[in-house]
Amino acid sequence: MESVEKPRVRVVGEEKVRIKKSFIKPWMGVKYLFRKPVTIKIPFEKIEPAPKYRGFHTLNWKTCVGCNFCGQICPARAIEMTWMEGEKRPHPKIDYGRCTFCQFCVDVCPTGALGFSENFYLTTGGLEEDLELYDWVPIHPDKVRELNEKFGDYRFPVERIEKKGDGVYVYHLRDGSRIEFKILGYGLRPPAAAKPKPAAKSSGGAPKE
Amino acid sequence: MADLEVPNELRREAKEHDMYLHPIDRDTYELFFGPQHMATENFSIILKMDGNRIEKAIVNPGFLHRGFEKLAEGRPYFTNIALLLRICVPESDVPENIYSMAVDEIVGWEVPERAIWIRTTVLEMARVSAWMFWIMGFGNEIGLYTPGQWAAAYRERFMRLYEELTGGRVYHIYTVPGGVRRDIPGDRWLRQLRDTVEYVKGKMKDFDEILFDNYITFERTEGVGVMDKRFALKHAVTGPNLRATGVPYDVRKDDPYYLYDQLDFEVPVLKEGDSLARVLIRRYELEQDLYILEQLLDMGPPSGPYMVQDARLKALPRFKPPKGDAYAHVESTKGDFGAYVVSDGSHKPYRVHVRGPSQSHGVTVLEELLKGARLADVPVILKTLDNCPPDIDR
Repeated sequence: MESVEKPRVRVVGEEKVRIKKSFIKPWMGVKYLFRKPVTIKIPFEKIEPAPKYRGFHTLNWKTCVGCNFCGQICPARAIEMTWMEGEKRPHPKIDYGRCTFCQFCVDVCPTGALGFSENFYLTTGGLEEDLELYDWVPIHPDKVRELNEKFGDYRFPVERIEKKGDGVYVYHLRDGSRIEFKILGYGLRPPAAAKPKPAAKSSGGAPKE
Repeated sequence: MADLEVPNELRREAKEHDMYLHPIDRDTYELFFGPQHMATENFSIILKMDGNRIEKAIVNPGFLHRGFEKLAEGRPYFTNIALLLRICVPESDVPENIYSMAVDEIVGWEVPERAIWIRTTVLEMARVSAWMFWIMGFGNEIGLYTPGQWAAAYRERFMRLYEELTGGRVYHIYTVPGGVRRDIPGDRWLRQLRDTVEYVKGKMKDFDEILFDNYITFERTEGVGVMDKRFALKHAVTGPNLRATGVPYDVRKDDPYYLYDQLDFEVPVLKEGDSLARVLIRRYELEQDLYILEQLLDMGPPSGPYMVQDARLKALPRFKPPKGDAYAHVESTKGDFGAYVVSDGSHKPYRVHVRGPSQSHGVTVLEELLKGARLADVPVILKTLDNCPPDIDR
């Protein structure tokens, strides 16, 4: 034990430390009754997230090269590369049921296509279609910024994901606009539908996924 | 029902097999304490009671078992940060820092000065917010709910600072091998931190009046759960619990890391070793941590990069450190937290071992201290030992 005790350490309270007991002092807390409360009345007041709060992802589809760095670094394995019609490279699809919002995927993105917004509301009404909402291919950052300026409540930018037959998905955004695309397949390898590119595009609705 | 008697043979048989006896047998009975009780956080204790006294306590952890160490073997180096920090929720920066320090040592990186300053500040902020969390829990255990609510409000200020610095509130995922992920948002953030430190410092008097200098606190904690120096050293007790028994051991002084050898602070030590000593130690340490934060702010962040410059960091998922192993430890509010990382040259660690203080505090020491205690003292002993259940179930 002598080796542990060093003279360099100045020790406080070696002598018996006792704060004086008092019966009246605890009642001093009463003065806080007349002060402004620190709690925020959530439906009536709003919390502004910090400027670089790690929220939902955004993705610039033009600059994404489909390198799957994001899928490799993801600790929760929430990212799945998705092949879409009309895109030469796969884009990440993010499952917010698994995502831990660490944003390592944003850090490793070599072209800066993947980014994040401050939107943080991740609550649903518990309906099945609400849960399916949080499994999406992120949309362009400018669009998300525009929606935030319009609504300003930091909710998920997509209101409803409509699933049509033949792998066609429609994102109904909150301002009424739509994004429609067709998912050909998942994974790193191009699916059979996407491989012979010119043929698959010209044949139209032939591939089934 | 009250007339029913348990036959002696049955009683003997139950005792032999360590079986559950129905409470109808009024001499001894079994009481399941937790895991939903607020004091136990997320593990339960099976108490064998004799009236109001505890005959035997068996800790029953495992509700939070996720296998961190095994999971860490299957993930790339940087990714593990997002996993390991879940070992201790109230101060998630400690597991981040020990892992990063160990990997830094394996690779042989000289972490930039600015990153070192930020890491030290983040660790101290984590300590102060963890004390606030502890005051909240301890106040609730002994029935003083008011200081707990104040502490939660003050912790919120630190969480807001974390949000601006790191982008996260509870899980910061900020310290990575080689530095930190983001730079300080600007001088405004430093001013806010100074304001917050001064604000909390001003509130210490109120905490004294209502919690630490309170008659109820003295009555509930004095002479409860006493452990002596020899017992504490035998059971590998560290941190404030050890200092409450009279051993001035603090990793920040005895094995200095980061900037702690340049900082001037005191290590509070008390000799009694009971719950009151453990409470008062924590109160003094909170004061010292606020003092350290002030010193760090006076020092100011050095200019320079906040991340090491290395070509290998261009391809993060395939980042490969050389072969080797390293151990690093820091002083957390729970005790001595350490991580041992073994690298076999591939892009995933071969082994990550975390040495947490809660295994000894929450299992062996708790079982010993609970012997002979009253039922009402269980939350007090539990909360003054201050364990972290995910760390037990690691």
